[in-house]
Amino acid sequence: MATRTICAVATPPGRGGVGVIRLSGPDAAAIGAAVAGPLPPPREARFRRFRNAAGEHLDEGLCLYFPGPKSFTGEDVVELQGHGGPVVMDRLLQALIAEGALLAEPGEFSERAFLNGRMDLTRAEAIADLIEAGSEAAARAAMRSLEGAFADTVHDLVAALTALRVHLESSIDFSDEPLEGLALNDLSRQIEAIRQQIAATQAAARQGQQLREGLTVVIAGRPNAGKSSLLNALAGRDAAIVTAMAGTTRDVLDTHLHLDGLPLRVLDTAGLRESSDVIEREGVRRAQAAMAEADRILLVVDDGAAEQSDDDLMAELPAGVPVTRVLNKIDLSGRHPGLLAEEPNPCLAVSALTGEGMDALRESLRRTAGVDEGEARFIARRRHLLALEQAAAALDEAAEAARTGLGEELIAESLRVAQDELGRITGAVTTEDLLGEIFSTFCIGK
Amino acid sequence: MHPDRSYEVIVVGGGHAGTEAAYAAARMGARTLLLTQSIDTIGQMSCNPAIGGIGKGHLVREIDAMGGVMARAIDRAGIQFRILNQRKGPAVRATRAQADRALYRQAVRDILDEVPNLILFQDTVQDLVVESDTVRGVVTGTGLVLHAEAVVLTVGTFLGGRIHIGEHNRSGGRAGDAPSIALAERLRELPLRVGRLKTGTPPRIDAASIDYSRLDAQPGDEPLPYFSRWSRGDEHPEQVACHITHTNAKTHEIIRGALHRSPMYSGEIEGTGPRYCPSIEDKVVRFADRNAHQIFLEPEGLKAREVYPNGISTSLPFDTQVALVRSIAGLENAEITRPGYAIEYDYLDPRDLAPTLESLHLPGLLLAGQINGTTGYEEAAAQGLLAGINAVARIRGLASWTPARHEAYLGVLVDDLTTRGTSEPYRMFTSRAEYRLQLREDNADRRLLPVAREYGLIADADWADFERYCEAIEREQTRLERTWLRPQDLGEDSGEALLGQPLRREQNLMALLRRPEMEYDRLMQIPAAGPGVDDPRVREQLVIEARYAGYLKRQDDQVARQARHEQTSLPVDMDYGEVAGLSSEVREKLSHHRPATLGQAARIPGMTPAAVSLLLVHLKRDEPRKRA
Repeated sequence: MATRTICAVATPPGRGGVGVIRLSGPDAAAIGAAVAGPLPPPREARFRRFRNAAGEHLDEGLCLYFPGPKSFTGEDVVELQGHGGPVVMDRLLQALIAEGALLAEPGEFSERAFLNGRMDLTRAEAIADLIEAGSEAAARAAMRSLEGAFADTVHDLVAALTALRVHLESSIDFSDEPLEGLALNDLSRQIEAIRQQIAATQAAARQGQQLREGLTVVIAGRPNAGKSSLLNALAGRDAAIVTAMAGTTRDVLDTHLHLDGLPLRVLDTAGLRESSDVIEREGVRRAQAAMAEADRILLVVDDGAAEQSDDDLMAELPAGVPVTRVLNKIDLSGRHPGLLAEEPNPCLAVSALTGEGMDALRESLRRTAGVDEGEARFIARRRHLLALEQAAAALDEAAEAARTGLGEELIAESLRVAQDELGRITGAVTTEDLLGEIFSTFCIGK
Repeated sequence: MHPDRSYEVIVVGGGHAGTEAAYAAARMGARTLLLTQSIDTIGQMSCNPAIGGIGKGHLVREIDAMGGVMARAIDRAGIQFRILNQRKGPAVRATRAQADRALYRQAVRDILDEVPNLILFQDTVQDLVVESDTVRGVVTGTGLVLHAEAVVLTVGTFLGGRIHIGEHNRSGGRAGDAPSIALAERLRELPLRVGRLKTGTPPRIDAASIDYSRLDAQPGDEPLPYFSRWSRGDEHPEQVACHITHTNAKTHEIIRGALHRSPMYSGEIEGTGPRYCPSIEDKVVRFADRNAHQIFLEPEGLKAREVYPNGISTSLPFDTQVALVRSIAGLENAEITRPGYAIEYDYLDPRDLAPTLESLHLPGLLLAGQINGTTGYEEAAAQGLLAGINAVARIRGLASWTPARHEAYLGVLVDDLTTRGTSEPYRMFTSRAEYRLQLREDNADRRLLPVAREYGLIADADWADFERYCEAIEREQTRLERTWLRPQDLGEDSGEALLGQPLRREQNLMALLRRPEMEYDRLMQIPAAGPGVDDPRVREQLVIEARYAGYLKRQDDQVARQARHEQTSLPVDMDYGEVAGLSSEVREKLSHHRPATLGQAARIPGMTPAAVSLLLVHLKRDEPRKRA
């Protein structure tokens, strides 16, 4: 029988008005009650408000309790049925994890059900498929979560930690060698430095708009291409000042909207073009800055201005940020609405004015934003944050051991734990890797 | 030895693996034959004259706890003992000793001679007797066919050995011995994967030609450490000092000038050498910014005239060896007595072994020592011991002994070898052990002696002594946990001074002992706490475990979480093609490694948690079918 209590989102990701989170294991009842309040009688649904340890209201909905062995997994199971949406689900999971639950591995619920004899043996193949597909999706989500600046900072972190461990472990295993030792002061300082680095990474990851506020999309394009109209069409209200005079939008306008539960932050920028106007130049500079940090750029092109190539515009966009090209004003040009080029850098024909093609644009945004796999992606990020938290705790322990003069072997132990945790994000650093580093850094051997 | 007699166990090879294997098998009551090329070199230290060190000393203590030879032999033959990492914590403290080669050989021989069931015989081995795919004995160089129920092969570097000195190379085992070419050819015919490794030795120097007056002496530790828990402390012979010198810019210049004549750099050598034991030419090339490398001048024995200059292993031509040695301080007039050389040899991929060290391809054949890709006397001896025990276990139908990674360095060693294999001579380091805090020299007996007793390797009197020791630890531990100190129990002045800081609330003695700055002695001086126990070993155990308590608890939890996987065995003949959902890459890895347990499978590089889940599901599905 499993000893750990696991939690996961049980509803298919993306759509639907209901999101179900399931808890299974020996502490399911206690953890469930901590978040949902008193559990209802077995197998009866009750309305509950879901709160985290700080008392913050996260969601509300039905709570069900299935004591084992008469449950899906054969263990004690608690189900929380809320309104769903990736952000809410993520915060609920976070609350459960804070109470002691662990994030389930792909297919782990089914695996437990199967191993506890709650599932027909003939379904073994189906379970296998589920585990395989689940782990592949998780791997893809983890990869996506690891793109960009977050990945760089985590890799820097792992490199710093490895370097420190190389020093410490070699001073333990090769104390007879005349190595340049690491004074305890240096050790403490480096532990502290890495601890700071983790804190910064955590902050960066937490601020990641994808987690808290969803995706950031920047609307860019030549003056008068219809950027602000497009924003209004997406937002469904007059969020930006729309005029027909080039250069009206001088600042970056910030709009928040929801696309099937995925929060979207849309920044409408000043038009991209050379300008002698000081204020306008400032607007262009801000537009460039906003684009560099965006998750996606919507490059709006006036489909009617066919004589203008948009190659020069493309060249001005920051490298590495995916682009969706939107050919606007097809009500004037007469082009058919819809998708002209596939993801990941799609091209669509729309009319912000008539709304033609806007559904296709929303659909494309949803797809490119990964809303269909939204939860997988959020969970991947959640795993990474958990690993960072654990690594931070292990480093605190190492710092404390160094401060109180406990042996180097105890400091080394905590650093090993920290590295194992970070290994969950970047792949494990094995003993062989570490020894390889030691032997290439130091001349060892009699 | 009578040629018509059959044996239960034949051990081939009289090195450190062979002697431990033969000794353990015979002590378990099996009729055992130790077959060696030369009875005179049983227990020979073919490389540097030292035993122990960090990680290695841990292995020696484990061998000792299992009733083995090595610790007792080195206690009788060690001429300089040191505790390494003395300033670091107990888990990484390790004992190391310089040995007198002759005394060591003699000690091993004396210990082997104590056992009644062990027969020594001098002959080479040409072939294995294989009957219905099971090894049933050996064919010797003189044509004898010797039968046994299990054969332990511990032939070290004798398989396909090739010695290099400069441009010259020739077939050979360690210098002076013949290689087992016939056996090597025979093994290459079997479906065993064979790889090639390299190692080297430095030139030996005539002690009388060294000017010690210019060198730093390094004496042994006081009080004199010892390896074996059974030693009384009076076994040690006379103690001597080692000396330290260094290479210099001139040495490095000589080496650089002769690199083109080195077999390493001319491409003559194909085997992979160990990264942690590079030749001096390697060190000079790879760490070009260093202008000196340390050399330990290790005496080969009390009466021996030779010195082993540890740190300048080389395969450069002899004339270069002479020049480079004489460029070193204290060695200006050194006479080389034996040239240094590199040796290439075959090893058998240890991934073809079960965790018992029995061949997956040839039941009845167990392999131990350097032939499995390891280096070092201690690593070899430890494997020999395990193979010897498992050979007898196999014959007698006893449970085999496969210690887990959290139980022994021996477990780490065998698991690493059989799970991951090795691409360089494998040496033990404490950083290889994720449960390093549990695997200490000081508790090797507590970890392993009960196992050894099960296999009949511990005499009654020794066992009774050990039980008393364990009871004393438990009794005092219970007392420390149940004795509570209240602030008012402390005298006005003495109490706080002894504790180092005030006692704010009631605490038990164990909790106080956990304070980093606390010492057992000091704690016991508090009237309400004392008097405590006198046995320093008992105190040591309590103090260490108090200090490590939180860390050990976390490691215990980790072990418990993995226990289910470690205890789920995978059939050797499992068809991984039938496991639904596995990627072809994982499938290939599993078929290749044939892990013994799910835990081992999980440690194979490239395995994913999902693949482990798939295996679990597959096993569960097959369960009812197996029962039917």
